[in-house]
Amino acid sequence: MLVSALLCYAGFMALCLAMQKHHASLVGRQGAPGLLRALRWAGWCLLGLSPWPAMAAQGWAFGLVQWCAVLMASAGLLVWLLPYRPRLAVGLAGVCVIAGPAGALLAGFG
Amino acid sequence: MREGFRQAMAWLHTWAGLLFGWLLFAIFLTGSLTYFRQELNRWAHPEVLYQQAGTPESLASAQAFLEKHAPGAPNWLIIAADERLPVLTLYYRQTSESGRGSLVETVVDPRSGEAVQARDSRGGEFFYRFHYELEMGYPWGRWLASLAAFVMFVTLVSGIITHKKLFKDFFTFRPGKGQRSWLDGHNALGVLALPFHLMITYSSLVIFMTMTMPASILSRYDGNTRAFFNELFPATAGMGDTAQRQAPMLPLPALYARYLALVPGGQVGMVSVDKPGTASATATFTPKVGARVAYLPGGGVTLNAVDGSVVRGLAAEPVPQRVAGGFYGMHMGRFAGPVLRWLYFISGLAATAMIGTGLVMWLGKRLLKHAGATVQPFELRVVGALNLAGMVGLVCAVAAFLCANRLLPLALAGRASWEVRVFFLVWLASLLHALWRPNGAGWLQQLSAAAAMLLSVPVLSQFATSRGLAVTLPQGDWAVAGVDLACAGFGLVLAWLARRVWRRALQARAEQAPPRAVRIKREAH
Repeated sequence: MLVSALLCYAGFMALCLAMQKHHASLVGRQGAPGLLRALRWAGWCLLGLSPWPAMAAQGWAFGLVQWCAVLMASAGLLVWLLPYRPRLAVGLAGVCVIAGPAGALLAGFG
Repeated sequence: MREGFRQAMAWLHTWAGLLFGWLLFAIFLTGSLTYFRQELNRWAHPEVLYQQAGTPESLASAQAFLEKHAPGAPNWLIIAADERLPVLTLYYRQTSESGRGSLVETVVDPRSGEAVQARDSRGGEFFYRFHYELEMGYPWGRWLASLAAFVMFVTLVSGIITHKKLFKDFFTFRPGKGQRSWLDGHNALGVLALPFHLMITYSSLVIFMTMTMPASILSRYDGNTRAFFNELFPATAGMGDTAQRQAPMLPLPALYARYLALVPGGQVGMVSVDKPGTASATATFTPKVGARVAYLPGGGVTLNAVDGSVVRGLAAEPVPQRVAGGFYGMHMGRFAGPVLRWLYFISGLAATAMIGTGLVMWLGKRLLKHAGATVQPFELRVVGALNLAGMVGLVCAVAAFLCANRLLPLALAGRASWEVRVFFLVWLASLLHALWRPNGAGWLQQLSAAAAMLLSVPVLSQFATSRGLAVTLPQGDWAVAGVDLACAGFGLVLAWLARRVWRRALQARAEQAPPRAVRIKREAH
C-alpha cells in the first residue's frame, strides 16, 4: 500500500511538471517540449505501475481498493502542498521516485 | 448547442446542489463518522473493560449465557466479537405469557460470559442510523436518503460536465483569492476524490435498489417481493426434523471446529441458532463481514446442532449478487484496516467539504451583487442561515451529542434518547441563532461554540469517566484515545477557522468604516 502510494505521488508530480504552467512556477523556467513529453510518459508509467505492489501484497480485491484510496490521497496531498510548500512537494516526489521502486524491489525479494 | 448544454447542466448543478446541499452535508458528515462506528461505540461506553477472546472461548460464553437466560427461545443470534469491538451482542426472542415475543438485545463480555453493565448510550449507532434513516422512521427516512443520493449522483455528473477544464486545472488550487479559491477548492475536492464520490453515491443507490427500484423483481416474481428475498436468503427454519423433541445441543466451539473443517481459516461474524434445545436445532455460521471486500449477507454454513452434520453448505454466489455485494461492501468499508479506514474517513470529509464549499459559493456569488446594500434580500438571508445551521450547526450538534454522553447523569431514565434530544435541540438552537445572525458574527459564534465543545470532550472524558487520555494512552487503547484526540484535533481546526472568520470581519470593518462615517455625518446634517 505504501509503495503504491509512493509511486502514485511520484506519477502525479511528473504529470504536474509536464504541464507548462506548473513547470514554470515550480522549476522557475519554461520546460522544453521534449522534457515535458518525457515527464508525461514517466507520469503515466508510474501511475500505470502503481496498482501492482498493492495488488501483489493484498490480492486484487483489497489491493485495488487500497490503490484507489492512495491514488486519491496522493493527488490530494500534492494539490494541497503545491500552493503552500511547493519545494517540499517537489522534494517529496524525489524521495518517492527513489523509495517507491526500492520498496517494490525489497517487497519483491524480501 | 454545446455551450447551451453545458449551461443547462450548470443550472441543474447549481439548483439541485442548493436544494439538497444541507441534507447531503448532514448525510455525508454522519456517514464519515460511521466509519468509526465501533470506535465511537467503545468510547461511548467507557465503563466496559474490553478484552479480546478467541472465537471458541467467546462462543462458549455466548452459549452458556443463552442457555441460562433464554433456554426456550425460538432462536438465538450471536454477533461475534471482533478486534474493533470485542464484545458479544446477543439477540433472542423472549415469549411473554400473552404469546407475543419481544426481541431482547444483550451485550456480553466474551471472556467472563457476564452481561456488560454500561451507560445507556447509542454512541456510533446514532450516526450510523441517522446517515440513512435521518431519524424519520421506516421507510420515510430511507426514501428521502435515497432521493438525496440520486440528486447527489445527478449533481456529480452535471458537475463534471460543467467543469470546463477538468484536466487542465487538475492540479490547480489558488488560495487566498476569494471566490476563485472557493471554486478551486470545490473543484479540487470534487475531481481529486471523484472515484470515491462516484463509488459512494452509486453504491448507496445499489444498497436500497430493491426498495427504490423494485420493477424487475415485481415483474419477475409476479409482484411477490417476499419470494425474491426467500430465494436470495433461504430460511434455515424448518430445515431439519420438525418434531419438537428435546435434545442436547453440541457445544458451539465443537460446531465451530466443524465449520473450520469445511471452510479452512473461516472467520465467523455471526452465528444464528434455530430452535435451540430441540432435536431439530440448527446453527448457521456466517462469515465475518470484514474478511472480504464484498458484502453478501445471508450466506454461510448451516450445521445440525445436535449431531453436527451439514444441513446446507456454502451457497454459490451468482455474478450479479457479487457485483451488488461488492458495491455494498465498498460503501461500508468494513474490511478496511486502520490506514484505509482513515482514508475512507478523509474521503468522506472531502465529499462533505465539497458540498459545503458549493453551498458557500452559491451564496457568496449572489451576495457580491448586494455588497454595498445594508439589507440583504430575504432569500439570501434564509440561505445564509441554513448554510450556517446546516454546516457549523450540525458540527455543534455532533459535539453536543458527544459532550452529553459524558455529562448526562447515568441514572437518567431514557438516557440514550436524551442524548439524541440534546443533538436535535442544539441543532434547532443553532438554526434559530443562525436566523438571527446569518452573518460573520453568527459564523464566529457557532464556530467558537463547536470548537469549545469539541476541545472539552477529552477533558470531560478525563474527569467524568475512568477512561480519560491519561489512562487510555499508556494502555494503548487507540479506539477510545483516538476519539478523544480526534475531537481535540477537530476542535483546534474549528478554532483556527473561527480565528480566520474573526480576522476577516475585523478587516472588513476597517475597510467599511470610512464610508459609514461619512454616511452618518450626512444623515446628521
